Amino acid sequence: MAVLNKKKSRVSDEIPTSSMADIAFLLLIFFLVTTVFPKDKGLSLVLPEPGEEQAISQKNILHLIIQPNGVVDVKRGESQQIQHMRPAEIEGLWRQEVASNPNLIAAVKTHPDAPYRMMVEVLDALKLANAERISLQILEN
Amino acid sequence: MAKKGGFEKRSKASEEIPSSSLADIAFLLLIFFMVSTVFPSDRERPINWPEAGAAQKTDEKKKNILNVWIQKDGNLYINDQQYQMDEVSQVVAPLYAQSERALVISIRGDRDTPYHYMDALQKELVAAGVVRVVFATKLEQRMQRERR
Repeated sequence: MAVLNKKKSRVSDEIPTSSMADIAFLLLIFFLVTTVFPKDKGLSLVLPEPGEEQAISQKNILHLIIQPNGVVDVKRGESQQIQHMRPAEIEGLWRQEVASNPNLIAAVKTHPDAPYRMMVEVLDALKLANAERISLQILEN
Repeated sequence: MAKKGGFEKRSKASEEIPSSSLADIAFLLLIFFMVSTVFPSDRERPINWPEAGAAQKTDEKKKNILNVWIQKDGNLYINDQQYQMDEVSQVVAPLYAQSERALVISIRGDRDTPYHYMDALQKELVAAGVVRVVFATKLEQRMQRERR
């Protein structure tokens, strides 16, 4: 009797595929949201407009002279004293100097044969120290 | 179609819309768009990037950024084309006017480029009237900074 009355199972014998599309779309949306296109990173700077050069009193200038071997010669405006530093030390130096003179301008003078990365290191140190007034020049003999 | 006195036979066709192929359609669409999308960008030049810890994202629309590549030997490329240094201002000035003065130059120099090339480039850009530049760098990792 039990055998006769055995009902056919109502469960479908197929794997339900109707939700596959939803899974696909969920994956798609997940990747859409999480994808980050590598945005350009860099140190931004505003160059002076042509003819915008202005005379700045020497006492407001901090000369940073980058030599080809990576040594930075620091010269304070008027004095002829030269201090040798590593690029990594510039950040602390700038914080100190700008605290005593808020009008200070960093004049970065790079030797023509110095590699570009030396200048970037110094510019980076100045940016890390929140320097706003930076002037990029080439070292003239 | 009703039969006389008999049982109405159930149609064998399913009442549901077949949805099992919807996933395939979605994937086909996805693949189609992946294949047909072209990013309007110039090719990357093989350079060794300089590194900087203070590097920030460039806050400008992609179409307003012009990449200027400088290789170690001073070769200069703009939009996949090589230029001489003294041609830069003539090339950049019309693009700058076209962008309604919003153009930002992304200077992508090799880390070992002698600085006089970079200085010449800056002078050219100033001559073209473009004053907003970005020195493109890689972000320096904290670890490296501390080690230095």
